[in-house]
Amino acid sequence: MKAGTSLTVMPVRESFLSAGRLRKIGLTITVFLAPFVLYGLFLLCYEVNPIELYWSMLKSTFGSLFGFGEVLLKATPILLTGLAAALPARAGLINVGGEGQLIIGALFATFAAVFFLDSAPSWVGIPLMLVFGALGGAVWAGIVAVLKTAGRMNETISSLLLNYVATHTVSYFVHGILKDPAAFNWPYSPQISWQLRLPTITGTRLHIGFILAILLAAVVWFILSWTKLGFNIRVLGGNKLAAQRTGFRINWMYVWVLLAAGALAGIAGMIEITGIEGRLRSTTGVNYGYLGFLAAWMAWNHPLRLLFTSFLLGMIAVAGNTLEIGSGLPASSVQILMALVLFFLMGIARRLRS
Amino acid sequence: MKKRNTGWSWKTLVAILAIIVTITGCSQSGGSSLNGNSSSSSGESSAIGTGGSAVGFIFVGTKDDYGYNQAAYLGSEAVEEAFPDLKVLRSENVPETAEAERVMEEMINQGAKIIFPTSYGHLDPALNVAARHPDVVFFHQGGLITSDNVGTYFGTIWEPVYLAGVAAGKMSKTGKLGYIVSVPIPQVLLNVNAFTQGARSVNPDATTTVVFTGSWCDPGQQANAANSLIDGGVDVISQHQDCTKTIIETAERRGAMTVGYHADASSLAPEGWIVGSVWNWPDLFVDMTKTAVDGEFKGSIYDGKYRGTLADGVVQLTDFGKNVPEEVQALVEETKQKLLDGTVHPFAGPVKDQAGNIVYEDGYIPTIDELESMDFFVEGVIGTIPQ
Amino acid sequence: MIITDILTGALRSGTSVMLASQGELISERAGVINLGMEGSMLAGALGGFAVTVWTGNPWLGTLSGGLCGLIISLIHSFLVLSCGANQLATGLTIMFFGIGVTSFFGRSFVSEQIVGFNPVPIPILSDIPFIGDVLFNHDPLTYLSILLVPVLWYVLFRTRLGVIIRAAGEKEDVLFASGINPLLVRYCAVLAGGFLAGVGGTQLSVAYTHSWVENMTAGRGVVAVALVIFASWRPAMAMVGSYLFGAAQALQLTVQQQGWPISTFFLFMVPYLLTLAALLIVERRKRSSMPEALGNVFSADAGG
Repeated sequence: MKAGTSLTVMPVRESFLSAGRLRKIGLTITVFLAPFVLYGLFLLCYEVNPIELYWSMLKSTFGSLFGFGEVLLKATPILLTGLAAALPARAGLINVGGEGQLIIGALFATFAAVFFLDSAPSWVGIPLMLVFGALGGAVWAGIVAVLKTAGRMNETISSLLLNYVATHTVSYFVHGILKDPAAFNWPYSPQISWQLRLPTITGTRLHIGFILAILLAAVVWFILSWTKLGFNIRVLGGNKLAAQRTGFRINWMYVWVLLAAGALAGIAGMIEITGIEGRLRSTTGVNYGYLGFLAAWMAWNHPLRLLFTSFLLGMIAVAGNTLEIGSGLPASSVQILMALVLFFLMGIARRLRS
Repeated sequence: MKKRNTGWSWKTLVAILAIIVTITGCSQSGGSSLNGNSSSSSGESSAIGTGGSAVGFIFVGTKDDYGYNQAAYLGSEAVEEAFPDLKVLRSENVPETAEAERVMEEMINQGAKIIFPTSYGHLDPALNVAARHPDVVFFHQGGLITSDNVGTYFGTIWEPVYLAGVAAGKMSKTGKLGYIVSVPIPQVLLNVNAFTQGARSVNPDATTTVVFTGSWCDPGQQANAANSLIDGGVDVISQHQDCTKTIIETAERRGAMTVGYHADASSLAPEGWIVGSVWNWPDLFVDMTKTAVDGEFKGSIYDGKYRGTLADGVVQLTDFGKNVPEEVQALVEETKQKLLDGTVHPFAGPVKDQAGNIVYEDGYIPTIDELESMDFFVEGVIGTIPQ
Repeated sequence: MIITDILTGALRSGTSVMLASQGELISERAGVINLGMEGSMLAGALGGFAVTVWTGNPWLGTLSGGLCGLIISLIHSFLVLSCGANQLATGLTIMFFGIGVTSFFGRSFVSEQIVGFNPVPIPILSDIPFIGDVLFNHDPLTYLSILLVPVLWYVLFRTRLGVIIRAAGEKEDVLFASGINPLLVRYCAVLAGGFLAGVGGTQLSVAYTHSWVENMTAGRGVVAVALVIFASWRPAMAMVGSYLFGAAQALQLTVQQQGWPISTFFLFMVPYLLTLAALLIVERRKRSSMPEALGNVFSADAGG
C-alpha cells in the first residue's frame, strides 16, 4: 500500500525555485483555475456572465472594507473548523464532526452566558465563554475519541452521525431551558448580554474573533512544525505501525488530538455567538463544519495554507449570495464550485506528493 | 512529507497576505458600493423607503414549496407587476441566522429601499440591518417586535383554520383528525388549537392527533407521519409545514381527506380536498410597497404590528372540494359570518387545556398578542408539546 | 396495533437505506469505502423523479435514478482508484457535491407531481393478519429490495463473481496473479454500489414520498455506510440494520401518537444513536471480518 516513508528530522531543502518546484506550482495553479473555468462554462449555460461574477467577487472582497469584512466573517469559523479537521488529519484521523462540535461549543458558551455570566464584565465574561465554548466542543469530540479508543469505532462515521445528534440536542435546549422567555415561545436562546459581545471593527460587521482564529492557526502550525509533540503527531499520521513500534501511546495521542480539535471547533461556535449571532438557534453555524473540512483538505491539512483556503471559501460563499440576487441561480450552486476545486486538488494529490 | 514544503508555503502565504492587506489599506473605507449604485445621497431628508430602485424579498425556503414560501413569492410577483420601475430582488433558502443580514445588505447595496424578510427567524437580522440603514423600510412577516423602520405584518390565519376545523369536524367519519407540524412554536399551537376548537364546535368528541416532525419540509418524515396517522384511524389530515405536497398526496393515495394550509393545493387531492386556509399576500404586499414608495410609511397602519384579518381579506378560505356536501358548505359560511360580525370567536372562554385547567375564563376573549404567544394545547388535542 | 405499525413503518422508511447499504456492501467487499453514498442517493432521487416527470414511467425513472447514482460514484471511483486520493475525504466531498448539484438542478421539480409507484398489495398474502400488512403491502421497489438480499448473498458467497469481488477486497495480489485486474473489479463494485444507492434514492422520491425536495435523504446515505460496518459486511444483517433504523423513525411517530411523555427531540436522535450503539455492540466481531483492503483505508496516511 503506502511505500515506506522515511522520517528525516532535518529535511534537505531544495533550492527555492527548482524546476520540480516550479512545475508543481504551475500544476497547483492550473488545478486551482480549472474548476473556475468549468464553473464558468456551467454559468454560461444559464446566461450568467462568469467573468462578471468573478470580477464582482474580487471587487466586493477587496474593493471595500465592508466586503472584506464580510469575507473574513465567513472565513473565521471555516478556519477554525478547518483546523479541527486538519489537526486530527495530521495524526491520521478523519474528523468530520466540526459541524456538531461547533454547535455544542456554541451551546455551552450560550448556556454560560445566559445562566452565569450575564452581569459579568467583558474582560471576565468573554474569556470564560471562550473556555466554555472550547469545553463544549471538546466534550463532543471526546465522545468520538472514546468511541474510537475504547470502542474501536471509526471516527469518521461516529463524528458524522454525532453531527445529526448535535443539532437535535441543541433543539432540545432551545425549546426547553434555554428558551428566551421574552421571545413569545419561539425556540431560541435569549440574547447574550451586550458586554459579552465581541468588539467589531467600525464600518463592517467584522468582529475581532478573526484575529483569534488566525492566532490559533499560527499556534497549531507552530506546534505541528516546531515542537516534539507536533513531530510525534506527524509521525503517527505518517506511519501508524512505525509509531506503534516506537512505543507511542497511540490512544492517548488520539484522544488529545481529538479533544483539541473539538475545542477549536467549539471556539468557532462561541465566536459565532459572541461575534455576530448574539443568540443560539438550532440552525446556528450550520454548514461551517463541512466547509472547514473542505478547506482543510484543500490546504493539504496544513494550518498556514488553511488561512488561504478558508479565505478562498469565504469569498466563494459570499459570492454565492451576490450570484443569487443578481441572477436568480441558487446560492447553493457555489457549493458545486467548491467541490470542483477539491476534486481537482484530490485528483492530482499523488502527483504532487511524489 | 509535508515538512519539505513548509518553507515555500509559509513565505508565499505571508506574501499573499501582505498583498491583500496592502490592497485593502489603499481602498476606500466605509463606503460599500459594489455596482456604483449607492444609496441616495441627496442632502434633503427624504422619507424612508423612498428613492430606491429595487425591492428585496428574502425567503427561508424555495418558492415552489406549495406552501409558505410560495405564498410569499406570489406576493413578490404581484409587486413586480404593480411597480414596473422597481427591480425585484429575491433570495431563497436564506437561513435564519446572521447570514440573512449579509443578503439584506447586498440587496440594499443594489438599490433596495424596501425589504421583505418573510420568515419569522429573519427578525433579528432585519432589526440589525435596519439599525444600520435608517432610510430603508422593512416589512417583516410574523414578527412581534418592531422598530422605527421595521414594521411587522401577519394575518389572523387561525380564523379560516377554525372554519376549516368546522368543516373537518363535520366531514370526518371517525372523529379523529390529524395535524402534522414541525416544531412547537406559538403559531403552530395556535393553528392546531383553532382547528380543534372548530371541529369540536360541531362534534364535541372530535380529537386532533398532533405529530411533530422536527422539520419544516422533510418529505420522508412527512410521509411517515401521514401514513402513521392514517394507520391509527385518522381520516382528515391537516398540516403546518412549509411544503405541503407530500402529505396531501399521501393522504389522497390512502383515501384520507385533506385540509390545506398556505396554498390552494386542491389539484393535488381532487377527491379528498375539503377546504384550505391561505394568505392573500399579493394585495397586501402591493399596498405596503405603495405606502413606502409614496413616503407614507411613518404613521401608517403598517408602521408597527399589522395584523390582517378575515374581514380585511388578508387571510382567506379556499374553495371547497367537490365532495363536500352543500349543508357543510352552508354551515361554514354561516360560521364565517358569525366570525366576521363578532358573535363567535374561536377562543372565547371558557377554554380548557389538555389537563382540564381553564386557560381563558368564561366570556373572556384573548387579545391577538396573547394568541400569538400561545403555549398550550386545548382539550381534544392528543400529543405533548416537546419541552 | 403498535407493533404492526412500527414494523410496517420500519419497512417503509428503511427500504431506501437498505438499498444504499446493500450497494455500499458490494463496494466495501471489494475494498472501497464510499461515503459519497449520500450524494448518489440524492442524485438517484432527483434523477429518478425527473425522468418520471418527463416520461410518466416510474420504471424508467428507477433505471435513470440508478444511473445517476452510478455517475456520481464514478467520480468517486476515479479519484480514489485512478488518482489515489484519500477514500474518506473524497467520499465526503462527493456528498457535499451531490447535495449542491441536486439542489441546483432540482429547483424546478419541487412542485411537480408524478405517477409514481403505489403500494401493491400482494393478493391473498396481504390478507394474512399481522404479517400481511407488514410484509405484503408495499410498493414494487420495496419488494425488489427484499428479494435483492438473498440474491446478493448468493452472488457474493456462492458464485465465482462473488469470489472475485471478495478477493479484490481481501487478497488482491492473488486475484491479480490469476489474471484479473483488481482495479477493474473495484471500479465495477463501486459503480454497482452507486447504482443501488441511486435506486434507493428513487424509492424515496418516486415510491415513498412522490416528491422531490433538496437534501431529502437527510443523512440516510451516511447511515447506510455505518450499517454496512454494523452488518459485518453481510447482506442479511445490513437488511436488519436498515429496518432497525426505519423502526426507530417509526417509533418516534408512535410514541408521539400514543402521547407518551418522551421528549420529541430525543426521539429524533434515536435513529442515529441506535446506529452508533449497534456499531459499538458488534465491534468485537468487526476486526476479523473486515475486508483487508478496507482495514488499510482506515489506518492509511490521512495527511493529503
